[in-house]
Amino acid sequence: MKYAKLYFEDVRVGDELPPLVKGPIPQIQLTRYAGASGDFNPIHQDDEFARAAGMGGVFAHGMLSMGFVAQSLTEWAGAGSVRKLGIRFAGLVRLKDTVTCRGRVLEKTSKDDAHTVELEVWAENGKGDKVVTGRATLALPARA
Amino acid sequence: MPIQINKAVVGKELPPFAVTVERGKIKEFARAVGDLNPFYLDDRVGGASEWGDIVAPPTFAITFRDEAADTGALLRDLGTDISRVLHGEQEFELHRPIQPGGTYLCRAKVTDIYEKTGKSGPMAFVVRETSVTDRANELVATLRSVTVIRL
Repeated sequence: MKYAKLYFEDVRVGDELPPLVKGPIPQIQLTRYAGASGDFNPIHQDDEFARAAGMGGVFAHGMLSMGFVAQSLTEWAGAGSVRKLGIRFAGLVRLKDTVTCRGRVLEKTSKDDAHTVELEVWAENGKGDKVVTGRATLALPARA
Repeated sequence: MPIQINKAVVGKELPPFAVTVERGKIKEFARAVGDLNPFYLDDRVGGASEWGDIVAPPTFAITFRDEAADTGALLRDLGTDISRVLHGEQEFELHRPIQPGGTYLCRAKVTDIYEKTGKSGPMAFVVRETSVTDRANELVATLRSVTVIRL
């Protein structure tokens, strides 16, 4: 159940994050994201500018995909659970692409009262190419 | 012909700047991503939560910028322009929730510049680290970004 409380004891190494599918990405989302984030780089809005820059046309802000990854994590573990999120922007997301966010639990750590899980995270476009890769550390409550 | 990158920018501390987080901005950001988590959007849910109010989504601190700054200045200092810039990497370490009304101090520094040649040709990588602290000087977040400049 989305937004349900996830406890440290419920997570096992190797568990997969429920995939989150976003898109097809419309231009208007890039426009809204530009307004929301303050990144008005024309490369995300103006196809002619993007072609002249040698990028083949408009592509999405990498940070939009990072926002999707953050969403996949907080839908699974809860708002406020993300302690660290690092992403490498591996490939361009084009208009009309779908972006599927995935992840896998690598490690569980308990230190004093703090319980964290580390995940490998990534997102793929509709062709299965990785558009972002990275790692996340989440803090989870413990039942005991 | 590839452009030169001004490596003297390494160590450059950008002027510190303050941001005050607006409620509507948190919601606009969440909606733009399409993340409709009620802890970001619903004031009553936020008010009943452990944080006492809505919180910002994990990547929200990317919106923190120096309104007074000349946004092209760093790129000009580096010897380039926006059409050559790509976002290479981004990292957030989040220590405390970011909430409406919070006033935060951001201190950014260019910590490294290196060059590599990849499939698309020569590129420069500019690493910037930003610390975000609150009024008690407690660390709220640390951001690390790598900007790729196609030379």
